[in-house]
Amino acid sequence: MAFIKEAWDVTRSVGQSMGVVFKNLLRKPTTVSYPYVKRELPDRQRATFALLTNKETGEEKCTACLICQNICPSQVISMVKEQVNNRGFAKEFTLDLGGCIFCEFCVQACPQDAIVMIKLWENSEVDREKLKLNKQNLLDNQKYQPSEMIGSKIREMQSPPKAAPKPAEPAP
Amino acid sequence: MTALIFSVAILAGVLFVVMYLTLLERKFAGRLQSRIGPQRVGWPFGYLQPVADAVKLLVKEDVIPEVADRKAFNLAPVLVVLPVLFVFAVIPFGENLVLADLNIGVLFVLAISSITLIGIFMAAWGSKNKYAVLSGMRAVNQMISYEVPLVISSLVPVILAESMNLSDIVAFQDRAWFVFYPVLGQLAFIVFMVSAMAEANRIPFDITEAESELVAGFMVEYSGMKFAFFFLAEYAHMLAVSFLAVILFLGGWQGPWLPAGVWLALKVFMVFMLILWIRWSLVRIRLDQILALSWKVLFPLSLLVLLLAGIWKMW
Repeated sequence: MAFIKEAWDVTRSVGQSMGVVFKNLLRKPTTVSYPYVKRELPDRQRATFALLTNKETGEEKCTACLICQNICPSQVISMVKEQVNNRGFAKEFTLDLGGCIFCEFCVQACPQDAIVMIKLWENSEVDREKLKLNKQNLLDNQKYQPSEMIGSKIREMQSPPKAAPKPAEPAP
Repeated sequence: MTALIFSVAILAGVLFVVMYLTLLERKFAGRLQSRIGPQRVGWPFGYLQPVADAVKLLVKEDVIPEVADRKAFNLAPVLVVLPVLFVFAVIPFGENLVLADLNIGVLFVLAISSITLIGIFMAAWGSKNKYAVLSGMRAVNQMISYEVPLVISSLVPVILAESMNLSDIVAFQDRAWFVFYPVLGQLAFIVFMVSAMAEANRIPFDITEAESELVAGFMVEYSGMKFAFFFLAEYAHMLAVSFLAVILFLGGWQGPWLPAGVWLALKVFMVFMLILWIRWSLVRIRLDQILALSWKVLFPLSLLVLLLAGIWKMW
């Protein structure tokens, strides 16, 4: 009797697994044929960097405060500061993507929301030097769609919740 | 002269079909896993993929290990492929469409296809590689165990048709295919399919080339065209098994309405797809389980089926 039960169990489980596999045959393939079809990226997808300019005045947002250079764990950001009209400007700004670990610290720390990450993820190069982005490259990258997360937004999300405002006392 | 032309045609046809069976397996496996499968080489269905594979394997470097036994190492791929191709000599592709109409066809097929084992063990021993030797020993274990139920279960059609000639066996099934004989037919078919799949080293019985434990088993040291020979042998073996299953149990080219060739091709295709389907749904079973399945289940079952066939014939 035990033998018959075992045989039945084996047959049933084999049939079950074959049924599960057969269900896939009737389903549409989930593959996205990459170079021809590009899948939609998530909102917070982040890959390369861009330096933003103020849209109204056309002025660079970066004040060369050196925070991103100091916070970068792999030390790939370096800049030269320049003082013009009472505010700082980055005279040179280099970001070596070859060493970048995409931790987003520089974006989180930027007080001006000047450096952001963009959704341009097809950034492979054959020449290592081309991965070193200079200031002009970064400013040009503005034309790509930025990631949804920018510095001020991240800081707002990470700050402790604000206390509910006190209800106004009724006038006596 | 006609025999020569016919044999060349069969050889070329089998090799061509086997080439495209690899593509069929890859596409089918892809669909079974919600993927697409090869499609880039020969857009949009990947129909040039086998050609690309063949060219790649042809131009690959042929490495022979220094410690290998060169004679055995070089002879083994030939010994693996040849017996499988011999099988196609006696398989009838239609009425009077057979290269060698042997009156001991079944015996010939069973005898010649077990020579593959010698080639496999030669490859394993000749490579002087521990994984290969382990795999060769497993292969011997498995093949010898499954030869017994395979032979006994393929004796059932022989007894029922009172002939060992494959054409006669097909001709006998013009009223009912053997698989439709109550209990007897189905049991014999299942035993035959399971042991034939074990003979062809397919998952779930592929412990000889178990990728996760033995890298590639007996063909671990082979590269280039010699490696391709083993793959050719494996797929040709599967094709031969499909043909045999169709001829012994599913009535060969017999069938209503459609022409004979279409029926044969359709049935062979269905059996081949069944093998692929099983391969992509089940896991590999252990060596002890494989031997237990053979000696404790399939062997008694095949004897029972043989007894039933005898009773059916007498009665």
